[in-house]
Amino acid sequence: MGTQNVPSSIVQFAVVDELINVGRANSLWPLTFGIACCAIEMMATGCARFDMSRFGAEVFRPSARQSDVMIVAGTITKKMMPGIKTLYDQMPEPKWVMALGNCAISGGPFAFEGQYSIVLGADEFLPVDVYVPGCPPRPEALLQGIIELEHLVSDWKRWKNPEIA
Amino acid sequence: MEQTFSTFLYQDNVLWIAAFTLGGLAFALGPIAIVYLLMPNETRQISGKALQAIECAMDPIGDPWIRYGVVFYLYALIFLAFDVDVLFLFPVAVAYNDVMFESSIRDFIEILLFVGILSLAVVYAWIKGVFKWERKTYLRQ
Repeated sequence: MGTQNVPSSIVQFAVVDELINVGRANSLWPLTFGIACCAIEMMATGCARFDMSRFGAEVFRPSARQSDVMIVAGTITKKMMPGIKTLYDQMPEPKWVMALGNCAISGGPFAFEGQYSIVLGADEFLPVDVYVPGCPPRPEALLQGIIELEHLVSDWKRWKNPEIA
Repeated sequence: MEQTFSTFLYQDNVLWIAAFTLGGLAFALGPIAIVYLLMPNETRQISGKALQAIECAMDPIGDPWIRYGVVFYLYALIFLAFDVDVLFLFPVAVAYNDVMFESSIRDFIEILLFVGILSLAVVYAWIKGVFKWERKTYLRQ
């Protein structure tokens, strides 16, 4: 579960928590934060053709203090890493991290001997919940990642798995 | 039927008002209290910068408490001078057509005195050159 690491609250009431998690899953607010070319795909996902708002995740917040999901969209340079750490710190709980694209997953094309400027993957310093591969991923892949994150956040499913049902 | 205010009716109204006030307060403060009880107590930290005021991830450079020019206090004062003029002349304009002030030169002179004294502030500023837009430079540190 994507909520198992969230710090506890004063009142802990399982039924209420499940209900709140359904609300959280259906209104993920990503951080407007593109660090490289994957952000272009993220913008396309937010726009009308792919329309992220169908899944309740279109409210890109420009302030870290208002967002739930950090979509690490692109190559993380060593110069940018402290900033990303700061933004993660400033996000309120519950917060999730999605690594979008090969660079954010493992360094992608920058993972070669002798490179000195790129952090090889967001999970070197962030607790990543969802990995979306691609270079860059198609907007459909990002939507799939959002849906996977919804499944992590809550047991509630947007639709049944057709292969099981 | 004319409504009479008995003691009983009055108490009833107070109860209603109190009930609606309490209901309004509950609607306003209730969500805050519920959220406070159900929210996670802390937020996970990597570099411990949750309280950094700047939200664009970069470390702020320098101090926000800088010294800057105080030229605009003059405009605040001038606004006040004109504002008081207008503020007190509105009731005069409303009441001046009244029969009470008909054929009385004394009221007119009083208004003239009042506006004259207030205008001294504007005249003073005029002489001091406030209305001329000149860039005043101050020593900055």
